[in-house]
Amino acid sequence: MRQFRSMAYPYIIWIAAMIVVPMLMIFMYAFTVKGNDVTTFRFTIENFGKFFSDAIFIEVLKRSLFIAVITTIICVLLGYPAAYIIAQTEGKTKMFLILLITLPMWINMLVRTYAWMGILQDDGILNSILSIFGLDVKLLHTSFAVILGMVYNFIPFMILQIHTSLSKMDKSLIEAASDLGANKLQCFLRVTLPLSLPGVISGITLVFLPAVSSFFIPKLLGGGQFVLIGNVIESQFLTAGNWNFGSAISLIMAVIIMISMYITKKVDKVENGERGIFN
Amino acid sequence: MRKLIQFKNIVKEFDGQLVLKGVNLDIYENEFVTLLGPSGCGKTTLLRILGGFLNPTEGSVLFDNEEIINVPPYKREINTVFQKYALFPHLNVYDNIAFGLKIKKEPKDIIEKKVMRMLKLVGLEEYSKRSVTEMSGGQQQRVAIARALVNEPMVLLLDEPLGALDLKLRKEMQHELKKIQQEVGITFIYVTHDQEEALTMSDKIVVMNAGEIQQIGTPTDIYNEPVNEFVANFIGESNIIDGVMIKDYEVMFEDKKFECVDFGFDENEKVDIVIRPEDLDIVAKDKGKLKGFVKSVLFKGVHYETIVETKSGTSITVKMTVEDKEPVFNEQANEKMSANDFYLDIEDVKELTEADIIARADAQAWNTETDEWNSITHIEYDIKEENGIYPVTFKTSSGTSITVNMIVADENRVINKEYQEEIYAVNFFKSSDEIKESIALETELKTWANASCWSMEDGNSVEITDVVYDFDPENITPGVYDVTFKTEGYEYKVDTTDEYHEGEEVGLWFNPEDIHIMSKKGSY
Repeated sequence: MRQFRSMAYPYIIWIAAMIVVPMLMIFMYAFTVKGNDVTTFRFTIENFGKFFSDAIFIEVLKRSLFIAVITTIICVLLGYPAAYIIAQTEGKTKMFLILLITLPMWINMLVRTYAWMGILQDDGILNSILSIFGLDVKLLHTSFAVILGMVYNFIPFMILQIHTSLSKMDKSLIEAASDLGANKLQCFLRVTLPLSLPGVISGITLVFLPAVSSFFIPKLLGGGQFVLIGNVIESQFLTAGNWNFGSAISLIMAVIIMISMYITKKVDKVENGERGIFN
Repeated sequence: MRKLIQFKNIVKEFDGQLVLKGVNLDIYENEFVTLLGPSGCGKTTLLRILGGFLNPTEGSVLFDNEEIINVPPYKREINTVFQKYALFPHLNVYDNIAFGLKIKKEPKDIIEKKVMRMLKLVGLEEYSKRSVTEMSGGQQQRVAIARALVNEPMVLLLDEPLGALDLKLRKEMQHELKKIQQEVGITFIYVTHDQEEALTMSDKIVVMNAGEIQQIGTPTDIYNEPVNEFVANFIGESNIIDGVMIKDYEVMFEDKKFECVDFGFDENEKVDIVIRPEDLDIVAKDKGKLKGFVKSVLFKGVHYETIVETKSGTSITVKMTVEDKEPVFNEQANEKMSANDFYLDIEDVKELTEADIIARADAQAWNTETDEWNSITHIEYDIKEENGIYPVTFKTSSGTSITVNMIVADENRVINKEYQEEIYAVNFFKSSDEIKESIALETELKTWANASCWSMEDGNSVEITDVVYDFDPENITPGVYDVTFKTEGYEYKVDTTDEYHEGEEVGLWFNPEDIHIMSKKGSY
């Protein structure tokens, strides 16, 4: 392996340039304020104080977390059965179903979200159908639209993760459980579900992360009504030009995400009797 | 004893392939039954039907006199030890074993008592909190057995459970399994392809092949009185000889009559005779019931496996003429040419082509400077369908030519009525260099002589096992040599403690009760 070690260098350089350096810069920006002189930096925790003292920001943060959690829950509830069904199929059917799940990902996420705007708007397709039944519902620019957009965009990650862990599972374990007296439901609850939890956990990670920091889905589908934390960060950087405050909020988000990931991992381990078989 | 399980005419078809062809089998209480057979014989399929993981295409399975085909696995009073154990990786040893009891919602203290007792039975008391993924194959095996037994099933199914273990551990587990079975006193149904395992552990062996039961019996019955050639071959090593049952207690093979203990066959019925290698003794050549010479000796650890040939097989001898002809040299064209005489069957003359002639004469031409092959452009010959010698001339475009003889003779074949075999070979010419350079001389001699043998009963080819010649291939000189091709004759495998030498003349001795007779009409 030693002789291939040098092949990692391009990646290390890439990581350094594109991830480590920007992170350090975010760190630096977050703990400084914009002085009159470009060259002078002053250490401060003012940016963080500003965030936590302003009730609006806290409200936005809570709303972001709430929407991300709801999105994740819906993704698990819808994604698990889908993944389960796909895992039962074989050969061409399986490939076809996985293709169906991944197909939307071939189209740009922004384009897809615009398409949802067309579907959900007041004179859109959905409302035209609903109006046949005499219903007139406001769909676009509601929390429903935002969550719908997020679930739609992120659910493939959930399905694929769960599917992978389900199809890796040894089928004879189910037979063994059934042999030991477990009916179908007990087989599922006592064997299939616990063994697929690692997939669920990584699915949750892959959905929760983009959901909590997404900014264009709330912007497009939520209109101005649903400002989420991603939108605040975006506007601090692009509109207000306050990179220091934007960086501080990013950092707060990063910490929150890390904590929530830590908790999920912890839960996973407890579920598995802390023997860490899957790690 | 009570009949616990009855398989009635079980047929199982997978994608149009018959895996089980109507199996009938009764299994009694407290028996250790082994389903034995080669892979693909249907033994695992039968076990899975009993476990409830497969439904038979036809037939019925009675458990305690009740039809259970439509009973799901979790409602059957049967537990299984799976081939690869199928332990739950997310549970520790204790929870794996307690799985079935927890499903039945037994009280906690009872569960603990039962699990601990099982751990003790399989010798893993100290491992209850261990993760199953951290255990060795043998330990996982014990957990799997404990997990199944703790539910106190009426029947335990074991699907090749020792297959993944090494030889020593496998032997230990065999004894342990037998001990456990006697201790808990329930029916064990054990699937294996290992005949030794079956003989060691079982009360009853069911030998299966190609979806059918071949024989059912105790290990001693199956070993000593196999009903057909398949069983005799599959269980232990055997010598199987064709013979004729003259009358009760008298059998004839190798043109000699022998006393035996079998009776109840038709007069002069054709039979297969089985004599186990350990029942044969090697004695002085004039004291044996059969005479022969030692063909090969293999050391097997506790004994020597000595092969004694009492009668050679079908054989044919051909003449190999070794000639070292100088190639023809054409100085003007820098070309050399060579070819050899060859023998031709009178039957083959009709279908002879130019390409055949070039190949059989091994005619070739080459440029002496570049060493490249030149093609033969012209062949002149005149041949009749009569025995005789016919010259053939090969020419190249640069005018070099060489003439050799084609010798047409009657077909050289030998028919052996006793073995119903026909063997064929032709005389041939070779140069001494070709023999010296040969790396697999016996195979090449077969090719050069076009030697082949086939059965006159079914036309299938019979292997030529021996090539006998009396020249030294390293130092061969021009001349005529005999080469003999032989098929296998009557050979006996004998287990001996003494070492005999190849070529030694010996006698073979056996007792009347060592001869086991099987009807050619076959199965049970």
